[in-house]
Amino acid sequence: MKAIRVQHTGGPEVMELEEVPVPKPKPAEAVVKVAVAGVNSIDGYFRDGRFRTPLPFIPGQEGAGVVVEVGAQAKTVKVGDRVAWSGVLGSYAEFVVSPEEHLVPVPESISDEQAAASMVHGLTAHYLVNDAHKLKAGETALVHAAAGGVGLLLVQMARAIGARVIGTVSSDEKAQLAREAGANEVIVFTRNDFEAEVKRLTEGKGVEVVYDGVGKATFEKNLNVMRLRGMLVLYGMSSGPVLPVDPARLSEKGSLYMARTTLAHFTATRAELLARTSALFDMIADGS
Amino acid sequence: MKAIQVKQVGGPEAMEVVELPIPQPKANEAVVKLAASGVNFIDVYHREGRYKVALPFIPGQEGAGVVTEVGAEVKSVKAGDRVAWSGPLGSYAEYAALPVDRLVPIPHSVSDQQAAAAMLQGMTAHYLSHDTFPLKKGETALVHAAAGGVGLLLVQMAHNIGARVIATVSNEAKANLASEAGADEIILYTHADFEVETKRLTGGKGVDVVYDSVGKTTFDKGLNILRPRGMMVLFGGSSGAVPPFDLITLSHKGSLYVTRPTLANYIATRQDLLARSSAVFNMVAAGKLKLRIEHTYPLAEAQRAHRELEGRKTTGKLLLIP
Repeated sequence: MKAIRVQHTGGPEVMELEEVPVPKPKPAEAVVKVAVAGVNSIDGYFRDGRFRTPLPFIPGQEGAGVVVEVGAQAKTVKVGDRVAWSGVLGSYAEFVVSPEEHLVPVPESISDEQAAASMVHGLTAHYLVNDAHKLKAGETALVHAAAGGVGLLLVQMARAIGARVIGTVSSDEKAQLAREAGANEVIVFTRNDFEAEVKRLTEGKGVEVVYDGVGKATFEKNLNVMRLRGMLVLYGMSSGPVLPVDPARLSEKGSLYMARTTLAHFTATRAELLARTSALFDMIADGS
Repeated sequence: MKAIQVKQVGGPEAMEVVELPIPQPKANEAVVKLAASGVNFIDVYHREGRYKVALPFIPGQEGAGVVTEVGAEVKSVKAGDRVAWSGPLGSYAEYAALPVDRLVPIPHSVSDQQAAAAMLQGMTAHYLSHDTFPLKKGETALVHAAAGGVGLLLVQMAHNIGARVIATVSNEAKANLASEAGADEIILYTHADFEVETKRLTGGKGVDVVYDSVGKTTFDKGLNILRPRGMMVLFGGSSGAVPPFDLITLSHKGSLYVTRPTLANYIATRQDLLARSSAVFNMVAAGKLKLRIEHTYPLAEAQRAHRELEGRKTTGKLLLIP
């Protein structure tokens, strides 16, 4: 089969197209013919070595396709099932082998593209608004990179809950996208200081929660735009990792909370993975 | 009136007994005749100069007593009312002038000494267990310094909620106190590694929340014993300040939460203050929260009170009685 492989970490050029054998399933695994593989920032972190994995490896953590072979003890999937997954390394290939507990069924009303596209970004947006900080109607959330892959979905889910959403974006074009997704207020941070704007928009009170996949560039100002006892949920670092933090700053800025989350911990059990995916597919299917 | 005054910062001897005029209330103040004044570690920090206060000053941030005079604009209290407070400086004295928005009424069923003893530590234990991380029945909490002033109250509240409490203490005597307060498991951290023990006691799963007032020496291991998505509540630093840490650690150890709360942010509004103080007083009145008032000193012996507090010779609450 054809696959993309990384022999040593580095820039995009380290990903080479190679011919490798189709993988065989272990007893509790299944082999899936990949219809679509998702591309995510985390793939870049593995490729450039920021996140470690043994070399060589096939990148890609997300996809959708059809089961073509199952291991001797596989029980939850069978050959012919349409499935999607995230958190399984090796999706940039024609076939991928996955522990069966990471595969979720894809309903008929969802296309392979929709399924693959929603696994990482959709599940991330879902855990952020429902679990990392359980957003409530009437609360105000600041969403950085509101026109990004996670951002656009996060804005929609936050609005569906009844929260007020302030989004930050880098251009007018993206501002338009964020508004279409439902953002109540959009700050073009290349023109306006988001700290000053958020304070103005919240009359100095600040927001209940900041959802931040940006990291280094936004961190310091985030601490100034939260209300007393507000929550900063860091779920990525597109601008680079945040420098080490003195916990005393959280008390100085108003008994703040901080979390650094990853999707894997919010889909840790089979039950949670299935519940979250099916909630997500329902939202896609009914157009909300 | 008699008062304790610090003219220059230093050791316990920096606190002198002086004779001063009874203070007059400003428009929004009340003058209170003190029945009891709480002694807290923050008083030591003020005395030493670790926390800066304009000199000279009367130490003490907690007390209870009776209103004797009110300022021109005061409506919420009147002469004769029994009140308690935490926050405003100047309670090591026979009288103190205090902003009325910081005074809370004391119910009949709670004594002045109980009220003075419950304000800072009681409200701290209350916000930690009810708001910072609202503990639920069946959850497991690790409480460091469980026989300390806040610790003993926190263990009782967590136990009353129905949570399982794992407590760390330094010696057998303190282990007994924590056990009496309702701790389910006690770890003598001087004999056993609390990380290993907590993992064993939770079957490797870890705890839902760590309440940590120790700081430097316990923080890192505390992160290792939290369940995925668990919360580290750092509310003090008796062993020193926790140095800056890399946030990615929180992700690697299981999408963890960290907060560093202070009481002031949990009694920021008048409504918060009244709700919290009355919740604590109700627990005391109902016998659900036992305050260990085992060390009372005449006001003039403030130096001795500080020496004993700093020497870790005391357990439970220290009060000065004017």
